[in-house]
Parts: sequence; structure tokens; C-alpha cells
Amino acid sequence: MSQVAAVRKPSRPVIGATAVAEAGATDPPWLRARRDEAWATYQATPMPSTRSEEWRYTDLSRKLQLDELVVAHGDRGPGAAAILPDALRRTMEQDRDSAARIVDIDGKVVSVELDESLARQGVVLASLRDAAREDDGDIRRLLATRAVPASDGKFPALNAALWNDGVYLRIPRGVRVERPVRLSRWVSRPGSATFTRIFIVAEEASQLSFVDEILSPDFETTTLVNTAVELFSYRGAQIQYVSLQRLGRGGFYLANQRTLAERDSTLDTLNVALGGSVGRVDLNASLLGPGAHSDMLGLYFGDADQHFDFNTSQDHVSPNAHSDLLYKGALDGSARGIFRGIIRVHEGAQGTDAYQTNRNLILSDDAIATSLPNLEIEADDVRCSHGATVGQLDAEALFYLMSRGLTRGKAERLVVLGFLGEVLARLPMGGVVEKVTNAIVAKLRGV
Amino acid sequence: MDDAPILKVAGLRAKVADEDLEILKGVDLAIKPGEIHAIMGPNGSGKSTLAKVIAGHPAYEPTGGSVYFRGEDLLDMEPDERARAGVFMAFQYPVEIPGVSIANFLRTALQTRLEDGEELDLFDFQELLMERMEQLEMDPSFAQRPVNDGFSGGEKKRNEILQMAVLKPALAVMDETDSGLDIDALKIVANGVNTLRRESPDKSVLLITHYQRILNHIIPDVVHVIVNGRIVESGGPEVALELEARGYEEYRKAHAA
Ligand SMILES: Nc1ncnc2c1ncn2[C@@H]1O[C@H](COP(=O)(O)OP(=O)(O)OP(=O)(O)O)[C@@H](O)[C@H]1O
Ligand SMILES: [Mg+2]
Repeated sequence: MSQVAAVRKPSRPVIGATAVAEAGATDPPWLRARRDEAWATYQATPMPSTRSEEWRYTDLSRKLQLDELVVAHGDRGPGAAAILPDALRRTMEQDRDSAARIVDIDGKVVSVELDESLARQGVVLASLRDAAREDDGDIRRLLATRAVPASDGKFPALNAALWNDGVYLRIPRGVRVERPVRLSRWVSRPGSATFTRIFIVAEEASQLSFVDEILSPDFETTTLVNTAVELFSYRGAQIQYVSLQRLGRGGFYLANQRTLAERDSTLDTLNVALGGSVGRVDLNASLLGPGAHSDMLGLYFGDADQHFDFNTSQDHVSPNAHSDLLYKGALDGSARGIFRGIIRVHEGAQGTDAYQTNRNLILSDDAIATSLPNLEIEADDVRCSHGATVGQLDAEALFYLMSRGLTRGKAERLVVLGFLGEVLARLPMGGVVEKVTNAIVAKLRGV
Repeated sequence: MDDAPILKVAGLRAKVADEDLEILKGVDLAIKPGEIHAIMGPNGSGKSTLAKVIAGHPAYEPTGGSVYFRGEDLLDMEPDERARAGVFMAFQYPVEIPGVSIANFLRTALQTRLEDGEELDLFDFQELLMERMEQLEMDPSFAQRPVNDGFSGGEKKRNEILQMAVLKPALAVMDETDSGLDIDALKIVANGVNTLRRESPDKSVLLITHYQRILNHIIPDVVHVIVNGRIVESGGPEVALELEARGYEEYRKAHAA
């Protein structure tokens, strides 16, 4: 009898070796071996504690009980795409311009749509699980090894061992995808842990923008979403990656993102954090060739007891590359924002241009912003700057707006929107700007 | 036309809110619908303070007297309520609002003047904004620029008049809008004010200035002289001409603190 019950109700393992084996059950041997190795690394790596600089302000021992989570398998049957949750459907309907779309429910890809003409040009968009099984050589060579390897830390290792599904996107040489490719993600299960991996290669002189949007309902228990993002722009290519984090309360968003920009390529990122209870993003931008360029934008807006922690690094390995980071956040209620960023100019990286700015707007007495910009420079011919500000709503600005008839609430909202909007103004992506603005406005209305 | 004053300031005293510093020491002023009043006075005499107290700036605390606007007690109202009731102040030092475009700002400002559930017609708004910008010889691209952010001194002043021209207040208090304008800009700005008054002759203006020059373009009905927080003389346009010739010295002596 118990066997029958087990078949009807698939086992939902906790984080452990069984879950790793299950995640890799249909994998080719090389990938299973990679998962096992990653799992070993995970076990050998201590849980980050507040004693380390990088985790000083996010106390995992209090915010995340990993062994209470159930690993999500996305075990919805076929046809899941036909019964999309309303909230997801609504946000997808706002995306008027898309070149392609992939939908992921509870960590499993349920649908992939790609413009026919792009497919003909050789663009590949697939579930990462399927793509890895077929392997085009590059996946095996690069997946969880070059960009976000297990050796990067506790969570990169956990993701490399447990990732259930994700996105594989490859843009062939010279192909330019004008409209964004969209990933729409939904998490439904309280207390689950979802491990997703996004792997994007833009070949020489190709171009794409990718919007990774995630939503969920509110959860009473901590619900983890762990995402590893591996982005490769080959010579002269252009990638824009946008993460739009709109989880419900109770969500714990943990992302490891790495961008590898080769010669004359552009690899821009925008991280938007609006939802969840805790958000932690580790982003490393590596500039690997002369002429490489990375704009790194971030925007966060916290209320109640939301906690957003960004840990960024700009690695100038090559000379004559450019990186420019701007993270702006508004914090209300007793929300907490942490920005810790470092520019590393490696030896020999002459002619580096690297900038880093973090600005915070505090909207209430109990909100706290912590900003820790940093520089580490081992070359002498460089232009670098970093700056951080934490300020309050400007009383003169509010009066100015009110003197034109805006209520205090409207005036405050407009100032916040303007403050955050400066980040979006730097993003030349119409459809995304509108979407993010709407999401902020929706959140501001609730304040 | 109704002869009751649109603005009646009586015995107004005001101090800096968080200091024991009295700036307005009993100001009396009555402006009738359609009238233009000019206020002139030396630096630090309290002109901007008067304007800001009328607009409801929280840095100042009225300590005595009254301000009535169309019979309503202004001092009892929030700054935004005053604005919606029809009071407008063109700032001496307009404030920068990063990231908020002029168009968005003005659209929001007009929307707040509508009843609940009523929606601003975006085409009408666009038309009005473009027409006003053209009258003020502003490049249409200005509408998309963040309010006052990176504007030159003259552009900021012109932007104040643009807002006035779009919001069409019953009473415009203009605090040194003419300062920092070149001669052509001065004429354009004066023209903006005059156009508004031509469209609706009962609009009133309280114009704070240091220069007689602008009064050649916007002809005042009354000129007041303010010294040390009090209005010490009121008369016709000739008062401004006399001031131009003689300065404030005599007034200063007579009304020292
Ligand atoms: N917030 C404040 N705190 C302290 N003192 C103030 C404050 N506001 C105004 N004052 C003082 O009150 C006096 C009047 O200032 P106000 O700005 O009204 O002068 P004004 O007549 O507009 O001068 P100007 O011609 O230079 O613009 C000045 O001495 C000024 O320093
Ligand atoms: Mg003044």
C-alpha cells in the first residue's frame, strides 16, 4: 500500500544526495558527474555567516532554514502551460513585443515559443534540461564551469548540483534579435526550493535582450528561488539581461549572476528587486577583452520588512574595457537595503574606465540603507570612481510639487518614481522600461 | 465684476518655523480680481517669505494676522489645497526634480484638479502643453526633460511661467521671475503673463521684483514697498520709478528693525 501511495504522490525530497540524484536522473553521465562533484563541493563549503564581509548584513542562520525546504521538481504534467496562473498571465499580456518566450512553473519549463524566422536563422531557445541532454559541445564545456562554477561558493555549488531546469539560449554569429526574449517564471509552492539555471551565449556580433521575470503569490513559509545566470558575449556581441523580481512575501530570492564579456562586446544587466521578503544578488561582471563594455544597473524598492542585498564586482581583467554601475534604491517601512560593490582592476588592465554609484532614498525612520563601495586597483593608467549616497525625501522638492496641487502622497510617489526612473532612463529598451515602471507604480500605490 | 479682494492679507506676522526669528511683522495687502500688484523691497526684507507663507511653505509659521483667498482662510489649508483652490507661486529658486519630466509633472498636477474618477484627456493636455510652450518659445523637447534638472537660470524661470500658463491659477505670485532673464526672455515671460490675463481678465498677479524694467511690460495697478517685514508704502506705477531713482535708503532709515 505504501508503495502505491508513493507512486501517486511523487516523493518531494529535502536538499540532499537523493535530491541531487533525482535532479540528474535523466542527465547524460558527464552532467551527472558534474552534479555529484558540485554536491561534494557544497558539502565541503561552510554556510556563509555574518562573520564574512560578503554576508555581514544578511544573516542566513536567521533567514533561511535550508533543511526545511522541499526541492521543487516542477512535476506538473503536460498541458501546464494551458492553465497559467492569472497573475502570470496578466503580466505576460503586458509584454506586447517579444521575439520569443519561455515559461517556467515551479522550476520546470512548460512552454517555449520562438519566432519562426529566428529559428530559421539558427537561434536556439530551449529548456536547459533538454538542451544539456542533446549537448552542442558548448554546454558541456561551459555549463557551471566558466561563469558560475560550483567552486564560487555555497549557493553556486548547490545550484550546480540541484538545478532542475532553466533556459538555454544561443544566438548565432551576426544574428540580431531586436525584440526581447522573455522568461516568465512562476513559483506556486510554499516552502519549496527552486533551482534554476539560465545559460545564454551570444556569438560574434550577435545581439539580444533577455527579460527574466519571476512572480509568485505571498507565502506564509520561506520559499527559496535560487537562480544561476551564466551570460557569454563573444566578440562584438551585445547582451542585455534584465531580472525583474516580483515574488510574493515569504519569497527568498538568491541569485548568482556572472557576465563574461569578450573583446568589443557589450554585456549589460539590470536587476530590479521589488518583491519577496529577502533578495540577495551576487553579480560579477568580467571584462575579458579590450573594448568590452558592461552597464550594470540596479533598482530596488523595499517596504515593510523587505531585505535586499546586492553584492557586485566589476573585474577588469583586460585593458581598455569599460564598466559603469548604477544601483538606486528606495526604502520604506523597516526595509533594509545593502549594496556592496567592488571594482577590481587587475594587473595590466591599463586604460580601464570603471565607475560605481549607489544611491539610496530613505522614506521612513525605520528603513536602513548600507552602502559599501570599494576599489582595488593594480594598474596605473585607469579612470575609476565610486560613490554612495543615502538621503531622505527632499522637503523642498515635495513642497514644490505640492505647490502645484499634488497631494503629499502623490508628490512622494512622483519623487520616488523619478529617483528610481533615472536608472531606467539608461536602459534603451522600451517594452521593459514601461513594464518596470508599471510594476513600481503598482507597488507605490500600495504604500 | 466682483469687487471683493481675491487675496486679503491682514496684519500678517510670520516667523521661521524652527527658530525664534520673526520675518513678517504685520503685512497688509488686498488684491482685487484682475489686479496686478508689484512688491519691491531690499534684499532680505521678507518678499520671498511673504510669497511662501501665502503658498504654505512649512519652513515658516504664521504667528498673527490672516490670509484670505476668495473668502477662504488660506492659512488653514495644506499647500496642495491652496494650489488646487487657485494659488500659484513662481519660485525665486525653482527646485530640481530629477527623473520627473515636465510633461508628466504637469499632467499629474492637472489630474489632481479633476474630480475623483474623472480622467484627464491626454490629447487635450498635449495640445495645451505644446501651445503654451510655443507661446513661451520653448523647444518642445523640454517637455520630456526632468523638471529644472540641469536647466539654466533663465530656463528655470521660463519653466515656472510655463507651469503657470498651463495651470491657469486665479492668483499668481511671481517671486523675482524676471531676475536672470535676458531682455528677449523677459519680454516672452511678460507676454506669457499678459496672454493669460487677456484670456481671463480676472486673473490676479502679485509680482515681486527688484527691477522697474518688467513693470514696463506688465503694468501694475499698485506698487508696494516692503522693508523689514512691513509694507511701508503703496501707490501707482510711479512708486517704482521713484525707487529706481532714489533707492531704499530713506525707507530703511525710517523703518529700521
Ligand atoms: N528658513 C530661514 N531661516 C533663517 N532665516 C531665514 C529663513 N528664511 C528667511 N530668512 C531670513 O529672513 C529674511 C527675509 O528673507 P526673504 O527670503 O523673505 O527675503 P527677500 O525679501 O525675498 O530677499 P531677496 O530680495 O534677496 O530675495 C532674510 O534675512 C533671511 O535671511
Ligand atoms: Mg526673495
